[in-house]
Amino acid sequence: MDNTEQYKNLMSEIIAKQIVILGPEIAVLKARNVPSLTVSDDGSVSEINGEPDKALQQLIDNYVELSGQIVKNALGTIFLKYPSVNKPGGYK
Amino acid sequence: MQGTALIFIIFLFSTVVVVFSLWWNFSLRKEIDRKEEDTKHRMYELAVLKELGDRISYSLNIEKIADIITGSLGQLIEYDVSAYMILEPDKVFINIDLKNPVSADFINEMRKRMFESVSALLGKDFSATKREEVTTGAIVSSEEKDIVQSFFNIPLVIGDEVVGVLTVADRRGGLYKENEMTILYKIVAQASRAVSRLREAVMKEEEKISAMIETIRDGIVMTDRDYRVIVANPSAKALAGLKKEERLTIFDIIKATEGSIDVRGRLEESMKIGRTFTIADVLVKDQVFEIFVAPVKAGVGEGIEALGGVIIFHDVSGEKAAERMREDFVSMMVHELRSPLDGIKKMGEFINSDAAICKDEGALREYMHMIYDSSSDMLDLVNDLLDVAKSEAGKFDIDPRPTNLRQIIAERIKFFETVAKSDEVELASLFGEHVPDEVFVDPGRIAQVLNNLISNALKFTAPGGKVMIQTLFHRKGTNVAAEASVAGVEWFVKDGDDVLKDHPDCIVMAVTDTGEGISEKSKGMLFNKFKQFEASAKSSKRGTGLGLVIAKAIVEAHEGKIGVDSREGVGSTFYFTIKQ
Repeated sequence: MDNTEQYKNLMSEIIAKQIVILGPEIAVLKARNVPSLTVSDDGSVSEINGEPDKALQQLIDNYVELSGQIVKNALGTIFLKYPSVNKPGGYK
Repeated sequence: MQGTALIFIIFLFSTVVVVFSLWWNFSLRKEIDRKEEDTKHRMYELAVLKELGDRISYSLNIEKIADIITGSLGQLIEYDVSAYMILEPDKVFINIDLKNPVSADFINEMRKRMFESVSALLGKDFSATKREEVTTGAIVSSEEKDIVQSFFNIPLVIGDEVVGVLTVADRRGGLYKENEMTILYKIVAQASRAVSRLREAVMKEEEKISAMIETIRDGIVMTDRDYRVIVANPSAKALAGLKKEERLTIFDIIKATEGSIDVRGRLEESMKIGRTFTIADVLVKDQVFEIFVAPVKAGVGEGIEALGGVIIFHDVSGEKAAERMREDFVSMMVHELRSPLDGIKKMGEFINSDAAICKDEGALREYMHMIYDSSSDMLDLVNDLLDVAKSEAGKFDIDPRPTNLRQIIAERIKFFETVAKSDEVELASLFGEHVPDEVFVDPGRIAQVLNNLISNALKFTAPGGKVMIQTLFHRKGTNVAAEASVAGVEWFVKDGDDVLKDHPDCIVMAVTDTGEGISEKSKGMLFNKFKQFEASAKSSKRGTGLGLVIAKAIVEAHEGKIGVDSREGVGSTFYFTIKQ
């Protein structure tokens, strides 16, 4: 799978999980605060304009800023499915 | 023509000015509205945080926080239902507050999403966990058909632990703006941080108190008002015959004290009237305790109810034993003094009553000799007791001056020569190399130490045996056994002896005998005045038994150390150091 596609799928999964944890409106709103991402109403990432790893870091940072490290901890299982993706700080 | 053009230009200019003013006005208005909204949000935030601070500043209760936040929501946003879920060890507690009537389906959907949120956070399914639910506010209406359209969840976190979730929901879609929701997340985060800090501080204090209680030698037991033990330290558990990890109950205490005190009755009375009781001399498993029973209150002052009670077991066995020893010592001392005094009195009466004895020179000399012996014994005892008393009071004075040790030893050997010959015991001395000719000591007192050691050695050595007075120089860091070997010293001092280990440069004086030796158990009692006096009183051999106690006091007054090593049935070495 193309690297950008991987990032798109990963970030879509992250947003989907945040939709469950936080609720759809706030999860999508915070994802749309990442300028390089195009996010649809259901939380799926359709486009990344810019560096995908920076976009990923910013997406996670937005959620952590909102509700703390605990939401970051809940994403560990998602990252396991994408071993080739550069994981942001704090993930092994 | 020109006039028309001018009018047109003026008209155009006026239009531009008006449009610009309107636009400027509109922008300004918008900016003011935005600032007003920001101020309103900020004030809401401050008001809720203040209320949280006032009401929960010293509370660890997350439910209270959730109640305050859900109670204040109406000031910031519109909603139909607010709810919070708290994860407890054995159940999930859900509080649902209806601002407006909603359907049962609405409530079910909201509850489902709350469970999904905590499950996603913790990777665990809580849907089957035992549940306790409270619903307040408006009614759940079967007529309402609307479902959840807008909602958001705020995780409740204390420390690093997810303890629940707070949810807000409404039937209308797209209701919640990002900045309004963000304010609520911020408020919850601040409240969580405050509670986390408080919990950390409480845990640190609890750890300190636990550590302190664990290490206290006295047994400590704290109960609640229903006599359930809530704190018990290892000493208390040991008293009741339990291991550290076992649980102590009030019945274990009753059993351990064998009914000698009414534990429950005392606790009840103590909690009721707020008084501390002291029960003296309670025997628990061969140990004597002083027991204190006191109420535990949350504060100081009248009218404060007790939270529970505390029982403290203070071991006084040692004090009782010391008291008994002191009493025995005094009794023995009085007896030892009274016996010779009694003898002297009787002999005096006898001499006085019988005129014939005064004429019989031989008989008179014998009686006078007996009176002299008795009074000498008494004087020795009194002098020894005075020396011991002075040493215990820290008033044992010495008069150090340049002294020739060889001369002192020679004088002591001469003094004991006759006794040694009579006992058929060889008495000899040895001086190692590097022992200085002069040392700075009190010659009279050092002679007294040697007198005690030599007389003991002779006393406990059988005919045909040997007593040696040996002196060597010990250098710090050097193996003293090697030094003794080089000096030709024969003794029972073990390699790595505790007294001489790491000792600075010093002279070691040792009196070694080939007598009956001393058991390990007895060695520990040799310098104890009570034990020595008792042993001497029972022994047939002469002496007060306080010689070694006094010798120790003299050596320590010279900043030296005294020690003993022995092999039973082979012999003993008593030694002491003189600092250089």
